[in-house]
Amino acid sequence: MGFDFNSLLAFIIFGITIGVVYGIVALGISLIYSGLDIVHFAHGEMYMFGAFFGLVLAHNVGVPYPVALIGAMILTALLGMAVERVFYRRLTRAGGGYTVAGMGMIICGFGMSVALVNTAYFFFGAEAEPFRANLDYIPRLSFPGDIEVPESYVLTAIISVLLMASLHYFLRHTKTGLAVRAVAHNKDIAYLMGVNVPLMISLIFGLACGLAAAAGVLIGPMQSVQVEMGYLMLMKAFAAAVVGGFGSLPGAIVGGIMVGIFENLGAAYISASHKDIYAFLLLILVLMFKPSGLFGVEAKVKA
Amino acid sequence: MRLMNKVYAGVLAAGVGLTASAAFAGDIRVGITMRMVSENGQAYGQMVMDEIKAINDAGGINGNMIKATLMNDECKSDKGVANANKLIFQEKIHLLIGSTCSSVSLPIVDVTAKAGVPQMIPHSTNAKITQKGSEWVFRIPVSGRYYGGVNAKYVGENIGTKIAYICAADAASVGDCANMEKQMRARFGVEPAYRADVQEKEVDFRSHMQKIKSMDVDGILVAALAETMARALIQSYEAGIGEDVRRIGSSSASNAPVPKIAGDAAKGVFFTAAYAAADHRPIAKLFNEMTRQRYGIHAPDHDFSQAYDLVRIMEIALNNSDLALTDSSLAADRTAIRDAIASVEGYEGLASGPISFCAAPTPQCRDGNRTAVLIGYTKGGENFETEVLARVTMEPDFGLE
Repeated sequence: MGFDFNSLLAFIIFGITIGVVYGIVALGISLIYSGLDIVHFAHGEMYMFGAFFGLVLAHNVGVPYPVALIGAMILTALLGMAVERVFYRRLTRAGGGYTVAGMGMIICGFGMSVALVNTAYFFFGAEAEPFRANLDYIPRLSFPGDIEVPESYVLTAIISVLLMASLHYFLRHTKTGLAVRAVAHNKDIAYLMGVNVPLMISLIFGLACGLAAAAGVLIGPMQSVQVEMGYLMLMKAFAAAVVGGFGSLPGAIVGGIMVGIFENLGAAYISASHKDIYAFLLLILVLMFKPSGLFGVEAKVKA
Repeated sequence: MRLMNKVYAGVLAAGVGLTASAAFAGDIRVGITMRMVSENGQAYGQMVMDEIKAINDAGGINGNMIKATLMNDECKSDKGVANANKLIFQEKIHLLIGSTCSSVSLPIVDVTAKAGVPQMIPHSTNAKITQKGSEWVFRIPVSGRYYGGVNAKYVGENIGTKIAYICAADAASVGDCANMEKQMRARFGVEPAYRADVQEKEVDFRSHMQKIKSMDVDGILVAALAETMARALIQSYEAGIGEDVRRIGSSSASNAPVPKIAGDAAKGVFFTAAYAAADHRPIAKLFNEMTRQRYGIHAPDHDFSQAYDLVRIMEIALNNSDLALTDSSLAADRTAIRDAIASVEGYEGLASGPISFCAAPTPQCRDGNRTAVLIGYTKGGENFETEVLARVTMEPDFGLE
């Protein structure tokens, strides 16, 4: 394909709009990792459940799209907290990271992923469902070169920024956020300081799953909603989290945007047939030159 | 003691063997492998089983019952091949029906050819299926090579020749794109104005649509499976490409999820298919009513009509087969069924045109339906509506040169 500046600008803009969604899911993965020392492999399914919750609220219950978004975040957060409390708690109590329990947690995450997908098949069926949302109140953005960014993408960018800002405020400027950070830093010391560690862990899980749900509801109007939508998103979000530095919250967002831009440029200028490769190519490149990721802490070993 | 154990084991094995033979003998065993992951897929799978049950309830085939085994391959080639092997070597079927997806049917053609089992293709359109030279394969739907010709003729004469192509990586879409491209080149001497090969389940078409928008094309061919196609159609409008640029669908455009998911973006999309729910023939109206009442289908697409026609053609062929239906006659029975299907000529059912087969293992003989109907969506959404734009019959050799 030939090169022209307007096309390049379009590809970058579209890359950013999809990248922020990767970033939100990666943010949840990083939040869980930094708090619990575990990689949550069922996080893609939380994203999928969030999308379906939003769909049911918007289409079946009939609430407006923003309310469906918040409702889906709350429901998915509760689902995530229930999953953590009932299934993961025993394993996380025994430790995460490179311990045997950490390995068990990874396998448990895979199992939970399969269980959640099949549960979703049972309730929602296999067909893709269109997520129609009235977004007339959101303006379209126009850029030079006849580039138009549709309402759904504009909304995605706005909501993503709001979510990131809210999370930042919560973690940095509230007492509960301080407790969450203390748990992320060291559970034992946090416990000795009087922090309710199990509650904070549930909160971390709930927050992370709520973020995944937001991504699912935001992506719904762009791509429809289906049971198998979580797998690819999880892979991209992992790539984003690793590129940004696993466990780093700002890194997750920057990593997501980089993955979005990189794959769009790869699809446009190299080959669209192998679009999914580019995210992982970027991941490999970053790991080769900065193994801890762009915002990761050097030689951080979890044990 | 050991001797007695051996005797007991021998008697038991013989007993099991006899029981198994008794269970196999006398029935015409039909294996079915289809994509049944969607509501529509489950419904047409069920419809095939219901129609076979109706044949049995009416006395069967010359007094013999049809024993059908329905399996879901989920449109995955490994599952389809595993299903075919299980049906052929364990169930010892006389006839295989399958599959829905071309990517699944293609490898199964090799399995049935090697095992010597007649295979009736209900939905797959990829031209290569009948170009493998298997004497055991029969295609009920219209081959992609005919669809490509009809699309190209209509597009070139009515829309324009500056066409952008979005081609997904599944076998049917790859074939549809290649056929359209080939016919546009042959008839009008033009190359694609833009071509993007995308993944089978691509979700983001915006960069392509942005590029296409700047090229001032006459039309966009979207060749992809239903859900992917719907996404591409929506995103084409989101990118600001106007209605004046016509959207052309590949064979999957007839599937109900396209208008259902695409909504208003489906309006104006036209495509070729083997059946139109908007068909005014009484038989089509009756069929529409039957699928609505029995399976809750708003408007059956050609996957339904082809599955229905297949059962009728199978019934005709089985009635014309001289079958012994014993264990030892399995190979001869399979051959007799194959020859009987090959002798079906001028079957007129729901399909867009008559279906005929002949003995030679060539595409000319085994692509049964040569008539494609050109359909346009006049309304998208759950209660979508279509109109018939044209009906075109192609020469048997078309697309083989």
